[in-house]
Amino acid sequence: MGRQIRDVRMSLQTLRVLETFLENPMTELAGADVHKRGELASGTLYPILLRLETAGWFVSRWEAVNPAHVGRPRRRLYRLTPSGLARASEVFASFGRGVPA
Amino acid sequence: MTPQNDLAQRLIRRAARNVPPALAERLDEEWSADLAARSGTFSRLRLAIGCWWATGVITRDVAVPQVATSGAGGSVRTPLGGLHYDLPLLSRRTVTFLAIAGVHVLLIYGFTSGIAQHVVQSLPPLTHAVVLDETRPQRPALPAPTLDVKPLTGRIDPRILLPPPSFEFPAAGTSGPEIKAGPEVIDTLPQPPPVLHRLAGGPGRGFPNTDDFYPAASRRLAETGAATVQVCIDTQGRLAGDPVITQSSGIVRLDEGALKLAKAGSGHYRPTTENGQPVSSCYPYRIRFRLDD
Repeated sequence: MGRQIRDVRMSLQTLRVLETFLENPMTELAGADVHKRGELASGTLYPILLRLETAGWFVSRWEAVNPAHVGRPRRRLYRLTPSGLARASEVFASFGRGVPA
Repeated sequence: MTPQNDLAQRLIRRAARNVPPALAERLDEEWSADLAARSGTFSRLRLAIGCWWATGVITRDVAVPQVATSGAGGSVRTPLGGLHYDLPLLSRRTVTFLAIAGVHVLLIYGFTSGIAQHVVQSLPPLTHAVVLDETRPQRPALPAPTLDVKPLTGRIDPRILLPPPSFEFPAAGTSGPEIKAGPEVIDTLPQPPPVLHRLAGGPGRGFPNTDDFYPAASRRLAETGAATVQVCIDTQGRLAGDPVITQSSGIVRLDEGALKLAKAGSGHYRPTTENGQPVSSCYPYRIRFRLDD
């Protein structure tokens, strides 16, 4: 597992994204939500979400709404996978910060 | 939808087209949905510009070959494992750099296009230069110095040394040698010039009091100073012409007061004398205005 963590590039912005999801690991968040909570610029945020999803830390799905009914496009919702949750917790523990409550 | 918001939507659609085709449709809808969640025009434009930035990063991510992708609990190898920092699009450092660069571009453009020239011309002049005609003060005719020379009483006799007279020795039986006399001593010294005793003139008896011509304004302002006035006086102690200021006191009022005093003193000047005889002459003298405590 430690090898898997080392394989994922950990930057300050990546840690902030993970921290946002770790506040409530079961919650699904769209990019706009992470932008608000983590105060991350969109140019940085979306590549990180894609990388973490590619690495298996996140899974994503489309919002189950009809765009014609809600009058807007569907949102892409991200959620930590169980292994992603474990890895994220391990990362923060290695930094001495622990997992946010 | 305002034109700016429409611009943000169009930017996002164009940005989504630049990512690999497998992601284009997804990112287009995802970013459009996030754009709809934003309300402010600036926020929406910032999101659109950020998406443009993300497009380049995502394209580079995908371009790096992935050795393996993750499964649940499987080994993970990220395509950007060599990089160690995500640069935000508009970090504080970036904004500062862009602002400084923008200021430099504006300055260079202003100087090269001549805009700055209009700005400078619209500004009031900082200094006012007044060119005054320089009038060289007329140098006063200084009184002839009185030389303390004692008249020569003796006479210098530069005698010319002439060859001795020649003697002819007569033959025996004559009465004696005949001596030819040499030339007489020639007096070559010119007569000395007559001694000139010159006494320069000045304000004489009955000359007006300086305080009577002290300008009232200068007295109130406590202005003091001294001016040099050149006057030409005849043998009767009267002005032969208008007096002139040869050295100003630095204050116009005091100079005018000095001229008035010099004119008022006509007839009360002491003429210059040469060997005791009054002569017409021009000479300067100073008039000092000072306030007594």
